[in-house]
Amino acid sequence: MNIPKKHLFYVLAISSSFIAAAVTGLDSFVGGQSAFKTDPWAFAFSIFFVGALVTLLISLFFSIRVKGKAVGAKVLDPSFQGIRLIQKSEVRNHLAAGLMNAINTIGYCAIVSTVQDPSVILSFSQVVILYLLLMESITEKDVPTLVEVQSSVIVTFGAILASLSLNGEINPLSMAIVFLVINPTWAIFSIYQRRLKLMRIRNKPNDAINIRFWNVVFSLLFTGAILLGFDLATNGSHLMSGLQAAFSPYLFLLLAATMGTTFFAYVLYIRSLGMGKASINNAIRASTIIFAIPFSLLLLKLGIISQFSTDPVMLIIKVIGITLIIFGIVSFAFTVVKAYIFITIKPGKKHKEVMDKLWDIKGITHVTVTAGKYDIMVKVSTRTLLKGYERIIKKIEEIPEIQKYRWASVLRDWENI
Amino acid sequence: MISAYILITMQPGKTDRAIKEMRSIPNIVKISIIAGEYDIVIRAQVRNLEELLEVTDKLQVVEGISKTTTQIIEKEISVQ
Repeated sequence: MNIPKKHLFYVLAISSSFIAAAVTGLDSFVGGQSAFKTDPWAFAFSIFFVGALVTLLISLFFSIRVKGKAVGAKVLDPSFQGIRLIQKSEVRNHLAAGLMNAINTIGYCAIVSTVQDPSVILSFSQVVILYLLLMESITEKDVPTLVEVQSSVIVTFGAILASLSLNGEINPLSMAIVFLVINPTWAIFSIYQRRLKLMRIRNKPNDAINIRFWNVVFSLLFTGAILLGFDLATNGSHLMSGLQAAFSPYLFLLLAATMGTTFFAYVLYIRSLGMGKASINNAIRASTIIFAIPFSLLLLKLGIISQFSTDPVMLIIKVIGITLIIFGIVSFAFTVVKAYIFITIKPGKKHKEVMDKLWDIKGITHVTVTAGKYDIMVKVSTRTLLKGYERIIKKIEEIPEIQKYRWASVLRDWENI
Repeated sequence: MISAYILITMQPGKTDRAIKEMRSIPNIVKISIIAGEYDIVIRAQVRNLEELLEVTDKLQVVEGISKTTTQIIEKEISVQ
């Protein structure tokens, strides 16, 4: 299927949410197994243990070459060329993302183990969108526009309302885990995954399949190390229980199903992280809550879960929440300023160097060297014209090889016509 | 595959009709109306230069187009 590039970011993020919703249903079933219900820590370890194996197998399958191209490049990420060893330049980002994913999963398990119905608490994990907005304005020096702040707040509150349940209980410790462990670790995890996706490996864009595989490996190592330390300190046996669960054929199959499906959700998420800011990605991912409703109804019908509130007040709250999420996402999608910049380079200067410098500017989505009146044509995507000036034009003016440039705002466009 | 941008200057008031005609020309993958030195940017994707010539030939007869400038893409980096 040929998806217009202007829609690709949203298609990827929403597809990822849809698969994530299916995973949530599967997770609740797997987590409800007696071995994990009594020991959620073991669940955290066994999920990464089986996940590493399943992710490796899927990645190997996608590495098979057909007509000179890896299967994964055809169906998941055009940048994928086959599973490969991690590069030195990636290690730091993978260490950070792996550690954050491990702590996040353990934090999630801690809540599951202390609260009987965690849904009311976990709905506050949607506040991560606001954490990301704040972090991006510091780490990427990317101050959010008013539209970004407005839409993010709308989506966040919508997501809280849509996922809220009156069955659960709110206790201060669980709330502290959500706000101090789960949200910050997921925000940092997303930022490092985005950094990895934006990296160039052997002069080509990094691919989501290798990023996902190595993230699961690092998450497994960190989860193992944290549980080992915890077991030694408390004389526990969570690590061994996790290993035993992973080797039980029935649980192995369940874990393989959930991690196999998660693989696709994450690969699409990582790809969309390469196309847009982590905060906006997470805002779009809030649509998982909407997709989770039909999956919950299906699980209810199959008798896998026993509760789904049909209380009219709750339904009204959910509809309000869903409406807010949809409006927030739509307002993100329709507030993009696009432009072409036509560039002339000073005589005798190398195009390749200028091309690389331009590619490093955030907001530039295409850089093309052309033969004709102009030397380079650049495509830009930004939230506001002010940001286009502050973050793009100012940077272009700092490139000494550029003789002159002309900005041309796109008023309307058609793709794949 | 060869890709090219074709920059177009239009006569005033004829853009809408011209775009309708352009959308029926094969090998044009993107059309953008822009504000600035040019009025329209087209991206064409063709197998060879002969096909590119066919695209520009067809554009020349579209009513309202007063000038075209073709930029052939030699190298490209884009978000994937």
